[in-house]
Amino acid sequence: MATGDSPASTAIDFETLATHRPYLLKIARLELRDEHLAEDAVSDVLTQAYEKRAGFAGKSSLRTWLTSILKNHIVDLVRKQWREEPLPETGDNGEHEFDRLFDATGHYTRQPADAGNPAELAQQDAFLVAVQRCIEKLPRRIGQLFVLREVFGSDTDELCKDLQITASNVWVQLYRARMMLRTCLEGTGFGRA
Amino acid sequence: MFRITCQQASRLLSQQMEQPLPWTQRVRLRLHLLACTACTRVASQFAAMRLAMQAWRNRD
Repeated sequence: MATGDSPASTAIDFETLATHRPYLLKIARLELRDEHLAEDAVSDVLTQAYEKRAGFAGKSSLRTWLTSILKNHIVDLVRKQWREEPLPETGDNGEHEFDRLFDATGHYTRQPADAGNPAELAQQDAFLVAVQRCIEKLPRRIGQLFVLREVFGSDTDELCKDLQITASNVWVQLYRARMMLRTCLEGTGFGRA
Repeated sequence: MFRITCQQASRLLSQQMEQPLPWTQRVRLRLHLLACTACTRVASQFAAMRLAMQAWRNRD
C-alpha cells in the first residue's frame, strides 16, 4: 500500500460526509433541544470533519468518527450552558424525590409494568418513539446528561470531566432520569398498551 | 442487615448500570430481586431503556 493518506481518508468527499447529516442532526437535537443550535453544531462538525479528513484513519466507521467530533462539540456547548445555569444539586440527594411511588415500608405502591423481553421491546418502533418523547419531557439538564450517557456512550469519568460535576451527582441525576423515564413510559403502557 | 427497600433496590439497579457494585450491595440487591417482582420489573425497564437508546441511535 502506498504511503501517505489512507485510502479511507482520500475517498471522503463532502457528499459522503453529508449523507450522515440526518443522523447527526437527530442526536444533536435530542441533546441540545434547540433546532438552530443543533443545525449549527452539525454544520460545524461536517465542516471540521472535511478539513480534518486526512486524520480519519478508517479504523472506526465514518459514522463513529463523526459522532465523536459531534460529541466534543456538544460537550463544549453543554458545559457552557451549564456554567451559566448549573445543575441543581438536589438538597436531599434525590433520596425523597420519588417517595410518593413507595409506601411506608419502601415498597412500590403500584406494580411496575412488565417490560417483557427488553431486547425485543427495544426493537419496536412504537417503543422507541415513546422513549424519545419521554426523554424530550425530562428536565433539560437531566435529559442532556442521560443522552450523553446512553446515546453518546460517555461513562462516569467522562461525564465528570466534561461537565465538571462529581461522580455521585452523575449517579443521582441518572437515577432521577431513569425513574422519571419509567414513570413516563408507564403512562404509555411500556410499549405494550 | 441484608434487607433493603424497593426504593434502595431501584437506586442500586441504576447505580449498577454505571459501575460494579461493592459486593455487600450486590448481595443485598440480588437477595431483594429474588423475592421482589416489582424490582425485577424495574430492572427490565431500565435495561429496555438502555437497549432502546442504542436501537434508536442506530436507526436512520
